[in-house]
Amino acid sequence: MPITLVHPGNEKVATAAAPPPRLSTLSGKKIGLLDISKPGGSHFLDRMEQLLRQTYGAADVVRVKKPTYTKNAPQAVIDQLRGMDAVIEGLAD
Amino acid sequence: MGEPTYLLSVPGYKPGKKALLVFFETDCPTCQLALPYLNSLDSNAVQVLGLSQDDETHTRAFVEQLNLKYPVNVDRGLKLTREFDPQSVPTMYLLDESGHVQSSLIGLDKAAMNTMAAALGQKTIAPLDDGTPAWKPGCGSRHLEPATQDGHSGAGDVSEESANGPLLRRIAEPASRITLRDDEDPFEYCIQKFGDALPVIPPTEAKVSAMVTASGLAAENVIARVPPVYGEATVEKIAANAVMAGCTPEMMRVLLPLVRAVCDENFNAHGVQATTHFAAPIIIINGPVRQELGFWCKQNVFSNVARANSTVGRALQLILLNLGGGRPDGIDMSALGNSAKFSCCIAENEEENPWEPFHVDRGLQRDQSALSLFAAEPPRGVSEHTAQKGAVVLKAVCQALATVWSYRICMNHEAIVVLCPEHAKTLARDGFTKQQVRQFLFENTGVPKRLYAEKDTGEGTQLVPYYREIMIQGEPCYQKFRSAESIHIVVTGGTAGKFSAVLGSWAVGPTGSQLVTYPISPK
Repeated sequence: MPITLVHPGNEKVATAAAPPPRLSTLSGKKIGLLDISKPGGSHFLDRMEQLLRQTYGAADVVRVKKPTYTKNAPQAVIDQLRGMDAVIEGLAD
Repeated sequence: MGEPTYLLSVPGYKPGKKALLVFFETDCPTCQLALPYLNSLDSNAVQVLGLSQDDETHTRAFVEQLNLKYPVNVDRGLKLTREFDPQSVPTMYLLDESGHVQSSLIGLDKAAMNTMAAALGQKTIAPLDDGTPAWKPGCGSRHLEPATQDGHSGAGDVSEESANGPLLRRIAEPASRITLRDDEDPFEYCIQKFGDALPVIPPTEAKVSAMVTASGLAAENVIARVPPVYGEATVEKIAANAVMAGCTPEMMRVLLPLVRAVCDENFNAHGVQATTHFAAPIIIINGPVRQELGFWCKQNVFSNVARANSTVGRALQLILLNLGGGRPDGIDMSALGNSAKFSCCIAENEEENPWEPFHVDRGLQRDQSALSLFAAEPPRGVSEHTAQKGAVVLKAVCQALATVWSYRICMNHEAIVVLCPEHAKTLARDGFTKQQVRQFLFENTGVPKRLYAEKDTGEGTQLVPYYREIMIQGEPCYQKFRSAESIHIVVTGGTAGKFSAVLGSWAVGPTGSQLVTYPISPK
């Protein structure tokens, strides 16, 4: 007699999203920098901003910060990053 | 001016008397938190009338599960809902004796509920410190939900449209069935696919069905969505994990509020399950359920001593793994992990506790069974066998408290101090109340300033401008905690051995994980 089990796991299949095309250049692009609010994150992102502006000629760098690293970004934070050509998320520690 | 005629269709409405009409949905977490408070309103002062926007079956299950004492009826065709037009649920309308709206309350708003109760000459009905939030918005009212193709409200529908729509559904499909080949070992299959690296009991249909029956709810009811991947914890899925953990069917009474608690946004399992820190949820059980279901609270309370503690703690972890996706070889990124992730469920030894039990501190009645969840570091032991005075016991505890998170961090962390019965007895004999214990620990836990040398960049040194300086035994120190309320006291364990423990927190407060306490329904 075959044994039948009840599936105890999450059965929703996550579908992978196709990544957007890579940028061929950073020159003239709008770049978002997302600080997740971990101590030290701003040091890394300050340097990124400097490099993006001075070395790579980014047209604009927009700095956005999550209220806490422990939770998902609220919609208002995500909305501030709309219209960017690329976003860099900065971790820390 | 006469009463509005539509009120005559409210079942049980008595004209000429003040009334509180309460519109709610059975799957709304805010309704689930708010509605039980109304049990405390005296029916002589106001007639409370619950109006459900869901069907009879779900409404009756909701009333039974939350033990609602006032009349509750289904608002058929959402007729009254459309008359009153609440934008969200719960919405409560206080009607004067002539049936006209005097005031309304939206969502869970404890202060407003208590003000309303006071205006009706009633005591406080929603304690501010019982572990539920002071304020929480509700869900959109059903009559404003998008309709399905057949023109009916999308609520409760499992059609493709509602499943893919913007609203979270409350009924899911049944769990799929896995039929094993004759040559497959069900134990090996489960340990590889769904286990915690230890053998589990295969969740056969018969065993899971017995669990579902014991819950009194439909198998496909979605109790919560488990972070961080937000898998739907249906009653049936919870039951399957409970079977695997070795639970008995009556444990469903504890597991349903436990799943709600761990998915409470205040607990923030999203962060707890993904952090690189040690944090793991520990469960603290209080009240009569300890005796009813055999939760152990004596010697070896943190160990493998009783089926109730071990299996409920394990079931929670299996649910977090299998439905939440917080696998230790994947999303759970803890650098060293924590043995509590196998199972950690303690009960308070209320019989040896000289003070009120822990769940009373959290705002519940003593005879109410309850569970609390705290995201904790592993316990630090505190041995103190020769102290004659309670204050000397507490000074030993202070030294362990000073190392919570990291020894030079003096920010807003919290801790649970687990006092063994012998230490609690010494403290009570010296006249300490529980609040005095917390205050003493708060005032006497600090980190000596001499440990913060110049040019030292170690953890905690960069935050010194935010610290508060105090003197402890003549030595300048930075105060470890922000308030006495950061320190929670639990009395448990065996009556022999003067060993207590300190369990530090993860990040706390609204940006971290908050201690949550949920009631467990009576038998």
